[in-house]
Amino acid sequence: MSDRAKNTFLMESRELLDNMETALLNLESDPEDKDIINDMFRSAHTIKGTAGIFGFDDVEAYTHVLENLMEALRARQVKVTPDLIALLLSAKDYLGLLVEEAVLETTIDDDHRQQGEYVLGELTSYLEDTDFASAEPPKPAETKQETKIETTEMVEWKLELHFKEEVFRNGLDPRSFFHYLAKLGEIKKIEIETSRMPRLEMADPEVCYLSFLVILKSKSATRAEIERVFEFVKEDCEIVMVPPVTHIWDYVKGIEKLPAEIYELSDALLSNGNLSLEEMMELIEDKKVEKTHTIPEAKIATQKIKEEKENNPTKIRKAVGLNQLKVDADKLDVLINLVGELVIAGATTNLMAQNSGDSKLLESISSMSRLVEEIRDSALRLRMVQIGETFSRFQRVVRDLSRELNKDIELTLSGGETELDKTMIEKIGDPLMHLVRNAIDHGIEQEDERIKIGKSSKGSLKLNAFHDSGSIVIQVIDDGKGLDRDKIFQRAVKRGLLDPNQEWTDSEIYRMIFEPGFSTAEKITNLSGRGVGMDVVKKNIESLRGTVDIDTNKGTGTIINIRLPLTLAIIDGFLVEVGESTYVIPLDMVVECIELSELEFGATVHNNYINLRGKVLPFLKLGDLFGSPPKEGARENIVVVQTGGQAAGLVVDNLLGEFQTVIKPLGKVFENLKGVSGSTILGSGEVAVILDVPGLVHKAVHEHGAVSVGRGDHSAGLSSTLH
Amino acid sequence: MSKNILIVDDSMSLRQVVSIALTGAGYNVIEAGDGNEALTKLNGDKIHLIVSDVNMPGMDGITFVSHVKQDANYKFTPIIMLTTESQQEMIQKGKELGVKAWLVKPFKPEQMLDAVSKLILP
Repeated sequence: MSDRAKNTFLMESRELLDNMETALLNLESDPEDKDIINDMFRSAHTIKGTAGIFGFDDVEAYTHVLENLMEALRARQVKVTPDLIALLLSAKDYLGLLVEEAVLETTIDDDHRQQGEYVLGELTSYLEDTDFASAEPPKPAETKQETKIETTEMVEWKLELHFKEEVFRNGLDPRSFFHYLAKLGEIKKIEIETSRMPRLEMADPEVCYLSFLVILKSKSATRAEIERVFEFVKEDCEIVMVPPVTHIWDYVKGIEKLPAEIYELSDALLSNGNLSLEEMMELIEDKKVEKTHTIPEAKIATQKIKEEKENNPTKIRKAVGLNQLKVDADKLDVLINLVGELVIAGATTNLMAQNSGDSKLLESISSMSRLVEEIRDSALRLRMVQIGETFSRFQRVVRDLSRELNKDIELTLSGGETELDKTMIEKIGDPLMHLVRNAIDHGIEQEDERIKIGKSSKGSLKLNAFHDSGSIVIQVIDDGKGLDRDKIFQRAVKRGLLDPNQEWTDSEIYRMIFEPGFSTAEKITNLSGRGVGMDVVKKNIESLRGTVDIDTNKGTGTIINIRLPLTLAIIDGFLVEVGESTYVIPLDMVVECIELSELEFGATVHNNYINLRGKVLPFLKLGDLFGSPPKEGARENIVVVQTGGQAAGLVVDNLLGEFQTVIKPLGKVFENLKGVSGSTILGSGEVAVILDVPGLVHKAVHEHGAVSVGRGDHSAGLSSTLH
Repeated sequence: MSKNILIVDDSMSLRQVVSIALTGAGYNVIEAGDGNEALTKLNGDKIHLIVSDVNMPGMDGITFVSHVKQDANYKFTPIIMLTTESQQEMIQKGKELGVKAWLVKPFKPEQMLDAVSKLILP
């Protein structure tokens, strides 16, 4: 079976298992909700059905028990208890491993396997006293082994088929059955019997009036095989099969072998004419005689099911996924790439139109540009995914961790409908996980401690997301003990990260926790406190062109703000010129532009900072930084950029204005280059470098700090330190 | 001209497996994730056979089939329904609507091909 389908199965199962987990957690707070149980049942059901088709027997068998338990829950024969939920959660986890084992051919280690088997055993014991204690899942119907009567000669079966009137309306075509029948042998003759056919003008074309007589010549076809050909039509067609003469003697022999009573019974029925020989044989062959005993019980059972259904009419299912379409992410990537190329091609056309000066051309170009912009926005929106699903994964994490650490913590989620580019959703999970673990482990205090300082015994953790001027902010908020400014400061000084003689702002000090290997935790737990992680968090977020900052109050809690751009593919850029080269600054980071010459005469310019309306603004001369000599006669400008609560100025030669920037990643060679984050292609076909604003701001602030404590002017050496 | 088969199931991997088997046998496969989506595929183009799951989010298979049976273009289209043994009352409802071909999950792709070739001519 194809790998593509297997991978889809893996992806789909993961999604379904996630749904199951969410449902289980919801069920804990709302054990009576039938919709939740139905949802879980359906997830298990789908996994089981599909796993069976792939032949993943382990997955199928395990899911079967899970499915049975869900059915027992639905029938209220098993009660929802916290223990059962915990058990089902573990079962769900193990099922995830089984799916991975089946698809990716990984091996599950013994510990997990034992745990999984244990859980299975427990679940089975829950089922013991219910109606759902069946042991084995149904296997794909195997072809029944039949005693074939081997004849060397061709024998002839005579089949009479009286199709009922509604056969066409039921989507059944007699011809296709005959075609299939030909697989069993040679169809010697088909006679059409038209006695039921009315006069043509009276006939209803939707009605079947025909009967057929078919002679099938075959070496080995059995009655059951022929019946299987017509299995779909057996309710809509009276079939009389007359077996070849040679067979009749086999049946007669068969009847003789039957137990005495049945033999007598059949004898009696035959002799008084109640049954023809053929019908008798049919009965015996299908063992219908024996089956009659079980029919009354079966009837009672069906009746019971019917009554149950009438008493509990299934609720109308919520319209989930209405008008939604699942699209392969690769297809979207191709679309976004093409749109990117379109934007570039549009810019080129625009440039050429402007050079030509043709006003009509310019007009049509401008309306085209507007459309391209709209296409760009809609295409990018296609990749947007709600962050809610990522958030809800943390329900489980918080639940498990708080149990482990013996803390009572409530997780509140808000802003789950906020949309974010799919790639970012994928990459933000790990950093978020780290922040959440940190908050639970170090942030929120033990219950007794909380009560002592007058906080509510239950800790609170919030995950929040919202849009803020062209970017997305994700917040991790806890009401724990906050960061200890003094402790961090001392530790930073000890490690030589901060100069104790200098004034440092709170945010500068808090930022120290993002330094590699920085930890103030006295004891290391297996969750966090090893001093690895926060720097990785920062690095991950910065690789998404985002920033992270901390807002904390000792004793009352911490808010971590992660700010991410809306998309990674196309941004609004601000084009500037330095020397002969063009650079792009992401527009959402630009605050204002100031002409430098005015400031120069105002004598407010110092070595590398200026006085901007009473505030110190450090700046970098991009010309020096990138080693390009200034243009003759250019009037220098400062572009004020802001990121992560810090502002800095970038000195450029010329401002060229807004530009739709299609981000092209830099090659591996440039991976470690600081100060640049990507590249783009301009309308003229030239390459422009996209500036890494957070990196540059950090640089500028750092230089400013160095200057203010009198360590001399570093600006001249910048280009070498940056490269 | 290869025959068009519409497959309706909420499991994308099931659709892919069935689709691989059917395409391999020379059929042209159209996929839909639930009844609502499947209805949008009934746009007047000839569909020779419909394979539909019973239990789906959005619109379930039985509701979908009841729409198909009211559509003059498609009411004679052969239908195979996919189900599990635990859904007897659904099977009953489906049979009342005139669905005669049922395939119990899990099935092997060959069983699907077999069922299809009983219902439509190649």
